[in-house]
Amino acid sequence: MLTGNNLSKSYSSGKALDKVTINISAGQICGLLGRNGAGKTTLFKILCGLVKPDEGQVIINSKRAKPIGGIIERPGLYNFLNAYDNIKIFAGIQGAPTDKLSIEQTLLKVGLPVDRKDPVRNFSLGMKQRLGIAIALINDPECLVLDEPFSGLDPIGVASLITLIRKLAEEENIAILLSSHMMGEISKCCHFLYVIEKGEIVNAGITNELINRHITSFSITAANLMASSTLKKYTVEMGTNDARVVCTAAKVPSLLSELLQEGIEVTACTPVLTLEQLIKKAI
Amino acid sequence: MRLLLAAEFLKLIKQSKTYYALGAILVIEILILVTAYFQGSTILDLLLDNLKQSFYFEGTLLNGNLIMYIVLNSLWFNVPLILMIVTSGIVTDEYKDGTMQTVMLQAVKKWKFITAKYIIAVLFTVLVIGFMMLTTFILAYSIFGNGDLVVYINTLNFFEADDAFHRICWAFASGAVSMVFYCVVSLTLAIFIKEAAKTWIAAALFLIITTLLLKVDFVLPVLNSFLFPKLIDNWQQMFYYEPDWTQILINNAILLLYTVAFGAAGTYVFHKKDIG
Repeated sequence: MLTGNNLSKSYSSGKALDKVTINISAGQICGLLGRNGAGKTTLFKILCGLVKPDEGQVIINSKRAKPIGGIIERPGLYNFLNAYDNIKIFAGIQGAPTDKLSIEQTLLKVGLPVDRKDPVRNFSLGMKQRLGIAIALINDPECLVLDEPFSGLDPIGVASLITLIRKLAEEENIAILLSSHMMGEISKCCHFLYVIEKGEIVNAGITNELINRHITSFSITAANLMASSTLKKYTVEMGTNDARVVCTAAKVPSLLSELLQEGIEVTACTPVLTLEQLIKKAI
Repeated sequence: MRLLLAAEFLKLIKQSKTYYALGAILVIEILILVTAYFQGSTILDLLLDNLKQSFYFEGTLLNGNLIMYIVLNSLWFNVPLILMIVTSGIVTDEYKDGTMQTVMLQAVKKWKFITAKYIIAVLFTVLVIGFMMLTTFILAYSIFGNGDLVVYINTLNFFEADDAFHRICWAFASGAVSMVFYCVVSLTLAIFIKEAAKTWIAAALFLIITTLLLKVDFVLPVLNSFLFPKLIDNWQQMFYYEPDWTQILINNAILLLYTVAFGAAGTYVFHKKDIG
């Protein structure tokens, strides 16, 4: 659906992208992980046609008037207008329907109220992100590109946005590429992950496989963990309410079983994987 | 293009700065009117004291026509500066708010989008000059009434009331051409510079340099006649005793060509430039 082949881009400050290849299928949610300044936004701008690459090409298999929609860096909205008028303007300039029903349907699709008449400068960041997505979805693009959609959102806003992104991929078969430097959020909703560092893709794979391959420790939450004799066999870093245990994913079932035999009831076991680990392992 | 123009028009009428610009024009007019009301007669008496000893003036020279002429003189600096700030914002605000990116992510052609902005900026400028003329006309004539006009350009020129009004109307029309030129230049500067504050500085600098160059002798007759700084005072030529109407028409046509050239350069650069 959306392919970027050998994309390279240099600025006066240095090389922003170096032979990056990326591929997203219809209905797939792809994540692009990278630190700030790794080249995520440059890649997104090239994929959306805002910036021309020095080398390489972008291929989008679509015959629609608008093959790709997206939000780059932040949702660019007319803050002096309300949500309805924002949709009306962005729909109007590209010949999409601007009747009341169509605009209200667009707002409802992303979970925005149709009765708010105040300017969008009064909206929360989460609502602005939703309105940005609504604008990106005008004219039914087949690909959606979301640059740092979770930044600045509270946990409820993040969860709600993840639900919306999943819904768009599953129900509308849209190919979605989203970037973040937050491992937790991106691993919750992406089928496939790319890791970018200094303008190069340094790691890639199916999300679960990639995480399992690189996981080295787990956070275990339970009462009375300090008294556990099982944990003494492992390298453990004790926290206030949890213990970070260094072990591979394969050893987790036996670890949990041993803890249960000791009478310790584990309430949560979460893999601990940082972006740095994914980058370091690959390099 | 019609849809883009409608969107640009909606943005213009919904923005408070549009009304700030009209308000600023009105404030300038009211200040001139108040000053003229309280001090105008004294200043005129002082200036024309010698002449009054030799000539008989019918009616008062502090009248609506003189006030309109004084307001017209704000086309030298005040009005073009306000217009350049407001019209450059049509582009710089889009960069600042990130809406330029959002628009370019839609199924919209770059050249059509920026052309629509130029057209709306020109229409806005014409509307402002129309507003300025109408409000001055209403206020000046209702407070000061009609009368003969005395103007100093190299020498004192006197025009009868009807002739004066006729010349003032044409001066506003010719002044609108100069203002359109400035607004198109400011939009082009905004495309090049992108940032609002820097664009304002560049626009003010352009305005100052253009006004200074108006008085500079370029030696070459072709430059002295047809370089754009020499064409921005066409409206002033309406107040020569015997205006050269053909030359005024030619000068305005050439200024319009410069306007189109600046607009075309801005459109080309915008089309070629990366967004973001």
